Amino acid sequence: MADPMHQFQIQKIVEVPPVKVPGLGYIDLSITNSVFAMLLAATLVIVFYAIAARKAVVPGRLQTVGEMLYGLVDGLAESIIGHEGKKFLPFVFTLFAFVLFMNIQGMFLVFTSTSQLAVTLTLGLLVILTVVGVGFAKNGIKFFKLFAPSGVPGWILPLVVLIEIVSFLVRPLTLALRLFGNMVGGHVVLKIFAGFVVALGGLGVLGWAGAALALTSVVALTALEFMVAFLQAFVFAVLTCVYLNDVVHLDSH
Amino acid sequence: MATENHGTVESTEAPGHESGGLPQLQFQHWGGQIVWLLLIFAVLYVVLSKGLLPRVSGAIDERGAKIAGDIADARRLKDEAEVQARAAAAEVAEARAKAQKTAADAKAKASAQAAERQAKEEAVLAEKLAAAEASIQTARDEAMSHVRTVAEETAGAIVEKLTGKAASAAELKAALA
Repeated sequence: MADPMHQFQIQKIVEVPPVKVPGLGYIDLSITNSVFAMLLAATLVIVFYAIAARKAVVPGRLQTVGEMLYGLVDGLAESIIGHEGKKFLPFVFTLFAFVLFMNIQGMFLVFTSTSQLAVTLTLGLLVILTVVGVGFAKNGIKFFKLFAPSGVPGWILPLVVLIEIVSFLVRPLTLALRLFGNMVGGHVVLKIFAGFVVALGGLGVLGWAGAALALTSVVALTALEFMVAFLQAFVFAVLTCVYLNDVVHLDSH
Repeated sequence: MATENHGTVESTEAPGHESGGLPQLQFQHWGGQIVWLLLIFAVLYVVLSKGLLPRVSGAIDERGAKIAGDIADARRLKDEAEVQARAAAAEVAEARAKAQKTAADAKAKASAQAAERQAKEEAVLAEKLAAAEASIQTARDEAMSHVRTVAEETAGAIVEKLTGKAASAAELKAALA
């Protein structure tokens, strides 16, 4: 059976000489399959919205879908962050659309960028750094109030602060691992079941029943994976909104 | 996912991943992915936030405004139509009342004329009747006066025949009174 992890192997498509970054050493900026998938996803998002943003009063199909996705994130930001959600909408929407397109692309092409820990961790850090930046810009030094919820008795406060700090620091990690794990798990399971189809099919008539079962599972899992692809992008957007809301409405924390 | 992208560069790849472990943890590939991701994300963010998303929200807002405007227009037109319908109904009612009045007037006038003409006719008839009755009365009176004379003559003839002697006119008149 083919190695189910092989699909996550980074391969270079266009070699670019490494760039020396002071303090970090050499960074290989070659276009790999992961970079290519990211470029393609970003391009598709732009092309899709270039078509979807046609401003027709009676929208076509693409425009309807585009406006539906926009409305989804808009409603999310509005309902979680409130009135100030509009300011963060472009950021949340870019995250959502980018992750969604990378996930969905992974269902059609051979490589899923969101199954790379480097990618999801960078996205997670991007979110949390944005949260910290917004927190300091909005509240100044009062940002640290985030770690000291009001209404906690004095003697338990040190413990609560410790927990809050840890939970805050863990956020980018959970964001990254949730997306990473879902994508990797789904694709590995698909690969293994698809491998079963071939392996059992080669065993003769008796194996065919097993192969048919495995094939049915692959079909069902593919449907499930499409849902997961959308759901994980949605969850990423929701959590981004929740974390942003924490620092935007620090007073009511 | 069944097909794999066997890139031509694969053979030049570090053979580290063959020994097992996640390919995602080959840290030599992290730097490039992170830099590219940040670049791509930045470009995507700028294009979406400055170019495309305002157009999408603009289209949505425009549609909302247009729908609201159209509904307001429709409501206004409906109100106008209702006012006009009410005015038209009032006009019809007025016209009907007028027509009824005219009809009633004409009827009254006609019946008055008819009554007048009838009265005139009756007067003429009554006159004729009176004249006829008068002439009948005269004729009867005359006839009655002739009856006395005839009776006198008859009585004189009868007396003369019975007695052989003619009675005087005075005696006959006294006998017949």
